[in-house]
Amino acid sequence: MQTLETIIRGAGIHKRYVMGKDNYVDALQDASVEIEKGQMVAVMGPSGSGKSTLVHILGCLDSVNSGEVWLDGRRVDKLSRRDLAQLRRTEVGFIFQTFNLVPSFTALENVMLAAEYAGKSRREARELARTALAQVGLADREDHKPTELSGGQQQRVAIARALVNSPKVIFGDEPTGNLDSASSTEIVDMMHRINRDTGTTFVLVTHDPDVAATCDRVFHMLDGRVANGNGRHAEDGRAD
Amino acid sequence: MRTLRNVFRRKLRVLLTIFGITIGVLALVVMGSMAEKINMLVSGGTEYFSDKVTVQAAGTSLFSSAPLSLSKYDDIKAVPGVAEVSAQLGTLLDTEAGASFGMPAMIGGSDMRGQDLESFKLTYAEGRALTPSDIGSVVVGSDLVKKLGAKVGGTILVRAERFTVVGILDRTLTAPDSEILMTLPDAQRLYMQDIPEVIRGQVDQSNIVTSFVVYPTPGTDPEALASKINAAVSGVKATGPKAFQDQVASTMGIFNAILYGIAIIALFVGGLSVINTMTMSVNERTREIGVRKAIGASDRQIVGQFLSESGIIGLIGGASGLFLGWLVATVTDKLLEPRNLDLFLVSPRLAIGSVLFAILLGLVSGLYPSLHAARLQPVLALRYE
Repeated sequence: MQTLETIIRGAGIHKRYVMGKDNYVDALQDASVEIEKGQMVAVMGPSGSGKSTLVHILGCLDSVNSGEVWLDGRRVDKLSRRDLAQLRRTEVGFIFQTFNLVPSFTALENVMLAAEYAGKSRREARELARTALAQVGLADREDHKPTELSGGQQQRVAIARALVNSPKVIFGDEPTGNLDSASSTEIVDMMHRINRDTGTTFVLVTHDPDVAATCDRVFHMLDGRVANGNGRHAEDGRAD
Repeated sequence: MRTLRNVFRRKLRVLLTIFGITIGVLALVVMGSMAEKINMLVSGGTEYFSDKVTVQAAGTSLFSSAPLSLSKYDDIKAVPGVAEVSAQLGTLLDTEAGASFGMPAMIGGSDMRGQDLESFKLTYAEGRALTPSDIGSVVVGSDLVKKLGAKVGGTILVRAERFTVVGILDRTLTAPDSEILMTLPDAQRLYMQDIPEVIRGQVDQSNIVTSFVVYPTPGTDPEALASKINAAVSGVKATGPKAFQDQVASTMGIFNAILYGIAIIALFVGGLSVINTMTMSVNERTREIGVRKAIGASDRQIVGQFLSESGIIGLIGGASGLFLGWLVATVTDKLLEPRNLDLFLVSPRLAIGSVLFAILLGLVSGLYPSLHAARLQPVLALRYE
C-alpha cells in the first residue's frame, strides 16, 4: 500500500544485461525499495551490487525485465520511450560522477539545454538557467566552458542543470566520486541546502560513508538486492 | 550558433566534408550553368520558332544558310494562310571563325516586314529599332557590345565597313545577343563581297536572301501551313515549329543528362562523406547523447540536433560551392569574351536549386546517423567510454 509520503517505489525489480549468448549479468534480482518525499537518501554497496542500475531504473533511464516502478504515484516501468523522455525532463534530474556537461557549451547553455528540452523558449530557458546557476553560486561563471571550470564548479553546473526544471527527485550517480574532499563537502552541503529549501528528494549512489552519514536514510545493496529497502523496515542511515 | 559550434568541434574533418560537398556543388553549378546556357539559347529558339514557318532553300538544314532567291517571295505570299512574309539574310559576322560552342556571332539582315506580327519582341537597352530606310545603320546584340566597342551614335566596323549604331538590344539570353541587325540591302552587299568572284556576276545582289519568315494568319496551324508551302512552292523547304523542337529535344536531353550526371556523381560522393562524418560524430558523442537523453531530450530532439548539424554542413558546402561555381563561370566567360564565347548561365533556379540540393543531401546523409543516435538507450550511451 502506497502512502502519501512515498515518492518512489520499486517492487521486485529484475534487470538482466545480456552481453551475448549465454553471457549475461543479473544486475538486479528482486530489488525493492521505497523512498519518501523530501528525503535525502544514499544507496551504498560494493561494486557490481546494482546500485547504479537501480538508480538508473528509478530515474527512468533504463528499463526493467520484471517488477514495478512507481514515481510520484504513477507506474512508469511500462511507459513508452516518449513518455519516459517526458518524465526525465520534468519529474527527475540527474547528476553524474563525471559531470557530463556538453563540452562545447558554456555553463549557461548547458543549463539552458535541459530547460529547452522541457519545452521552454530560449528566453525563458535563459532566465531559468540564470536562476539555477545563481542557486549553486555560479552566477559569475555562466559564460565559462566546462574546461574552464574546476571539478566542483562543473558539478555545480550539473546540479543547476538537474534543478532547472524543478524536478521532484534528483538522482546522483556517485556525484562526489571525482571530487576532492573539500569540493565533495561543498557539493554535499549544497545538495542538502537545496533539499531543505525546495523539498526536492535526493537519491545518491555513493561509496563514501561520510556522504552517506549526512543522509536521512541509507539503503545497502548486495548482489542485486536492497538489503534493507522494504518500506518502513529500512534502518536509519544516521546510525551508521 | 550552438549547432555551428557543435559542427566545428572537429574542425579539419568537418572542413574536409564541407569541401566534399563544395566540390560536388561546384561541379553541379559549372555543369548546370553550361546546360542552362544551352537550354536558354534553345528555349529562346523554340519560342522564336513557335508560331511561324521558316522557309529556306531546298536541301539545306535549319541552321545553315544557302542562298535563296527573293523571287520566291510572291509565291510564298500567295499561299492561303500566309499573313506576311519577311525576307532574311543571315551570315556569319566573322567569316574566318571556326566552330564554336554556343551561338556564333551573326549578321542578320531583314526587310522588316511583318514586325507587328512578330511575337518575339526585341527590347532595347539603348537607342531604337531599325527601320527599312536605315541603310548604313545597325542594332547590336548585347554580347557583341564590348567586343565591337559599340555605342549608340558611334560607329563600328563590320567586315571592314563602317556602320552607325542606332540601338543596342537588351539581353535576350538567346540568338539576338550575338547578332548585328541591319537592313536587307546592307546585308546583301556584305554577303556579295564574300562570294567568290567567278560566280559573283551570276548572282543578283538585290535578290539574294537566306530565308523567309512566314507569319500565318490568325487561326492557321503553322505545321499545316508549312506543308502547304512545300506543296505549292518549288525549290524551298518550309519548316514548322515542331521540326525545331524535335531537333533540339533529343540533343538537349542527352547533353543535359551527361552534364547533370557528372555533377550528381560528384555530389553523391560528397553525400557519402557526410554520412561518414556524421556517423563518426555520433559515435564520438555517444556519451553526450546519453546525457542529453538523461536530461530529457526526446528521440525527435536528438534527431533534430544531428539533422540540423548535417543540414548545416550541406548548407555551407552548397553556398561555398555555388560561390566557387559562379566564380568559375564568371571568370571563364570574362576570359572568353574576346573570342565572343559565353558558355555559362548561373540562373536563379540553378543557384537556388543547387544550394537546396546540397542541404537536402546533408539532411538525407545525416538521417541514418541521426536515427542511430536517437535510438541509443540513454543508460547504455552513458556507460559508453
